Amino acid sequence: MVKSTFISIGLHVFFILVAYYGLPSFKVKEPLEQPIDIVEDTLISSKTVLKLGNPNKEVKKIKKDIVKEDKVKKKPPPPPPLPSKKIIAKKNIELKKKKKLKEMAEIIKKKPKSKIEKNKKVSVPKVKTKPKEIKQKQKKLLARGILKTLTKPQPIINKDKINKSQNNKNVLNKLKQMVGNTSKRSLEPEAKLTQTEIDKLRNYISKCWETSIGASEVKIIIPLKISANMDGSVNSVEIDDQSRYVKDTFYRATADSARRAVLDCSPLPLPKNKAAQFKSFFFDFDTSFIYRY
Amino acid sequence: MRFILNKNLKSLVLKILILVSSLLINQALAQDLRIKISSGQVEPLPIAIADFTGQEGKANEIGRKISEVISNNLVGSGQFKALESAAFIAPPTSPSVRPNFTDWSPLGVKALITGSVKNIKNQQVEVEFRLWDVVAQTDLIGLRLIVDSKAWRRVAHIISDEIFQRLSGDSGYFDTRIVYVAESGPQNKRLKRLAIMDQDGENHQYLTDGSFLVLTPRFSPTTQEITYLAYFKNEPRVYIFNLETGQQELLGSFPGMTFAPRFSPSGDKIIMSLATKGITDIYTMNLNNQKVTRLTNNSSIDTSPSFSPDGKRVIFNSDRGGSQQIYIMDSKGNDVKRISFGKGRYATPVWAPKGDLIAFTKMLKNKFYIGVMSQDGSNERLLAEGYLVEGPTWAPNGRVLMYFKQDAPIDDGKSASVNLYKIDITGFRETRIITPSDGSDPAWSPLLPN
Repeated sequence: MVKSTFISIGLHVFFILVAYYGLPSFKVKEPLEQPIDIVEDTLISSKTVLKLGNPNKEVKKIKKDIVKEDKVKKKPPPPPPLPSKKIIAKKNIELKKKKKLKEMAEIIKKKPKSKIEKNKKVSVPKVKTKPKEIKQKQKKLLARGILKTLTKPQPIINKDKINKSQNNKNVLNKLKQMVGNTSKRSLEPEAKLTQTEIDKLRNYISKCWETSIGASEVKIIIPLKISANMDGSVNSVEIDDQSRYVKDTFYRATADSARRAVLDCSPLPLPKNKAAQFKSFFFDFDTSFIYRY
Repeated sequence: MRFILNKNLKSLVLKILILVSSLLINQALAQDLRIKISSGQVEPLPIAIADFTGQEGKANEIGRKISEVISNNLVGSGQFKALESAAFIAPPTSPSVRPNFTDWSPLGVKALITGSVKNIKNQQVEVEFRLWDVVAQTDLIGLRLIVDSKAWRRVAHIISDEIFQRLSGDSGYFDTRIVYVAESGPQNKRLKRLAIMDQDGENHQYLTDGSFLVLTPRFSPTTQEITYLAYFKNEPRVYIFNLETGQQELLGSFPGMTFAPRFSPSGDKIIMSLATKGITDIYTMNLNNQKVTRLTNNSSIDTSPSFSPDGKRVIFNSDRGGSQQIYIMDSKGNDVKRISFGKGRYATPVWAPKGDLIAFTKMLKNKFYIGVMSQDGSNERLLAEGYLVEGPTWAPNGRVLMYFKQDAPIDDGKSASVNLYKIDITGFRETRIITPSDGSDPAWSPLLPN
């Protein structure tokens, strides 16, 4: 019964962990598609201003190369050169030597039959372990040790219980380690980044953020999820509140200006040896300063 | 079988539960790094406006004109600065073709506008445009319109509104009109006519012939109608002029009236100040049954009333406190509060269409100022100054003000010139509106119906 409860608890924990880590919808917000505000749709043609040259020629060249490669593959391999008489003679000598060696090997492989008689009983001389005379000091010490063991009552130790408790401790230790690791993980970025480093990055982005007076209507914080590479170049910028981005024209215009600021400022001046912390982070753009204008 | 948990197992289960819950809580709290950006640059956004191309992918005359109007509109708003077309590396050929952004990003522009104008038939043209984000390398908005070729200017204003809204978040104000009093002649025989024009001064027309003195035109917030004051045999009369039909209607004669009434937000009521027996008070008139209601009853001079955008409150100026200041009350005349406490005198308060600001005229030390303040009187900012600046009127988006400015008089018998100006509420960009003659008392229309 105890086992079954333990198993059920274990399973519960397992399913909670699987649900949290395993299912992506619990952990990661799936990015919504950014709609383009088009009053009337106009189709974009496949034309481009880029000069791509004449693509047909390139295709022909590629085709020719492929044909050539095929032709090369179809050619049979060149025949080996005919052997000379000296080489044939040498080969014959080698073959004879090999035959002799084989014969010798067969002779060696044949095991000689040997008869070994087993000794049935081996007589070992008996050793007298007890010395006839024991020193008195030794006797006293022995007596004390016996008394000590007698005075302290020992609990009856069940081996199964010991094993179970050890297992429980192991489980607890593992869980403690997991908890400890996560807490460390969550605290690591803030603990390591200094205020000066954050201020430097903040000032850098502030200089790039060109926004409109219209943003004074919003007076809220616009979070952008940023992913930066190790060299500080911005990998992606995601507007976090997509529903408001779609509905609110002020929010949309300001969020666009914030996105432009991040992309314009790329690469970001990330502190050395701490760039890994910027793999996924947020810039919270606060528009309250615009109201002063 | 009985289910029995011994003490060790109970404590173990409890510990596991605590640890698992702490694990989950820790994981939930383990957030990404967040850095708050609490300052930025409120500066004109650099944009490139390419000439609209024709059918062969080359710029044509109408295309160039449309681009020019869009550029003037956006730059005139104070929120954009346009790149000179001479700096373009590779002008776009069509709005349907995705531009090569590497040609534009080195120029420092953040947005690019491309467009085309194609002749269809019967003097009709198809105008198409697309707005591109050069930094994010994506398109933001596109629009295609089929109009009469003579209406190219209005199309340019509509496109300007769309671009303005997409990039600033505010609704546009370019497809609007201004009614004002056109002045001409010497000081002692001044001719004052009612005139109308586009917000950029184009398509100018006179509405009255000048046989009567006209004053203070006001636009209806809902319809293309204006009210104005005209003196007929030295008696002030209030007229309603329908701009779509050209018909005028006499609303009534109001002795002692110095300013034309203003419409309520719903357009079914007007609010005005009337002088009776030397006392000026504020009244409303229901336009459906012409019933007049008195709102203030004070021995002081209460004048220049203006409704709040929700119609629940009224702002006006009064000298009941000893000097001319701005007061606020509810729409029934109760709960009167003074909101202006600065030095000098305050006049002609006008509530912004969004309700966030109040524009006013201020007189201080022989100078006039146009300023804005919050609806509680705080955050007062003076935007323009001059010998005489007066009569602020709001653009429909509440981000630009228009007013008139009079120069100091010169002792040569000629009257000092009076001109119309507009300024954005940051106060950075003041632009004069070019009119055929002097102009005063502007009134800004709502956005024109499509």
